[in-house]
Amino acid sequence: MRTDEHRDWRLSLGAYALGDLPPDERAAVAAHLEGCPECRAELRELEGVAALLPLADPARIEAPTARPPADLGARIEAQIAAESSREGRAKRRRRFRLWAGGAAAAAAVAAVLLIVLLPGGGESSPAQEVKFASLPKGVSIDATLEPHAFGTEIQMYVKGVKSGTLCRVFLRDDDGRTYSAGSFRYRWGGDSEAELSSALDLSQAAEIGVHAGDRTFTAPVGQATALVSGAEIEPT
Amino acid sequence: MSPALTRERDVREAYAAHSGELYGFAVRSLGDAGLAEEAVQETFLRAWRAGDRYDSQIGSLRTWLFAILRNVVIDLGRARDSRPRVGPEQGIEPSVEPLEQALLSWQVEEAMRRIGEDHRKVLLETHFRARPYAEVAEELGVPEGTIKSRVYYGLKALRVALEEMGYED
Repeated sequence: MRTDEHRDWRLSLGAYALGDLPPDERAAVAAHLEGCPECRAELRELEGVAALLPLADPARIEAPTARPPADLGARIEAQIAAESSREGRAKRRRRFRLWAGGAAAAAAVAAVLLIVLLPGGGESSPAQEVKFASLPKGVSIDATLEPHAFGTEIQMYVKGVKSGTLCRVFLRDDDGRTYSAGSFRYRWGGDSEAELSSALDLSQAAEIGVHAGDRTFTAPVGQATALVSGAEIEPT
Repeated sequence: MSPALTRERDVREAYAAHSGELYGFAVRSLGDAGLAEEAVQETFLRAWRAGDRYDSQIGSLRTWLFAILRNVVIDLGRARDSRPRVGPEQGIEPSVEPLEQALLSWQVEEAMRRIGEDHRKVLLETHFRARPYAEVAEELGVPEGTIKSRVYYGLKALRVALEEMGYED
């Protein structure tokens, strides 16, 4: 039967493509190929694969597959979560600037303060977003406080303060003790980021404050108006 | 809107689907498990940072991740080469072939691993070890014609596996 015969020829095409057939058989397959466009098309595909085989190393094919360490995925996720919470803050800043509007934005100055508090327990409480209320017109201050194993990280956004103003940041604990968190000078003309350190665990912080020139602004910590978790992401 | 790699869950899914392959290729091209780990980590971080630029309309996630890994491997390879070598016999030697060819070789090896055991075995013995079909047939206790058809179906399966990995000829 023609079909069976055709099938037999077809099954030889792999060996043909690899050059494994003895001369008489090879000649017979070649003769069939002359009159069979279907087999010729099939052969072209098989030859494409056969040509790649020499690239492979049989020892590597049979070697046990290397698997990544079991905890690699978790490590990557943790790093991405950390980056995403930083990015979330950056996006909030950008949004805020956008909201401030064109003309206002031109004059708006962003001073960003990053305060790292030294270890004091490393509580796993979620990060908090603190909004300063009762500020003079045109001034806005908000901060994100994030606990770390080594302490707390604070990022602060200040707007509308006179350029050149020295800002000293502090935290207060429940007993009213003040912990300096360093200082920065507020400048016109875009964002500036500063990293500073202090010594209070976020779980013990009751208040955050800024001495800006001769003014002092404070906001309660621990009754966060918005919770910021590491997993927060922007809607797509 | 085309899906982008912008949510942490997307990264987790991408890791589950592709980390094994990416790691396998990283080990092969860097010749060092520690560096390979670093390469995979860096690949997913870069993918995450650039996640909104990934467009599934243009290419598969797998191809995109491999393109990132390729760059990471080049960067890590450079960093390693600029480090002083401690001694001549330090672990596995990294592959010396150009990276494009290393990737292709790795793909063929990976495709060989993915096809059925019977097909792989026959291709390994007849092609890579150049053993006569009759000898392999006897060893496996099957007719010689079966070896021939396994070579045929093996090559076809290999082609499918390569196409699944994004290979185009």
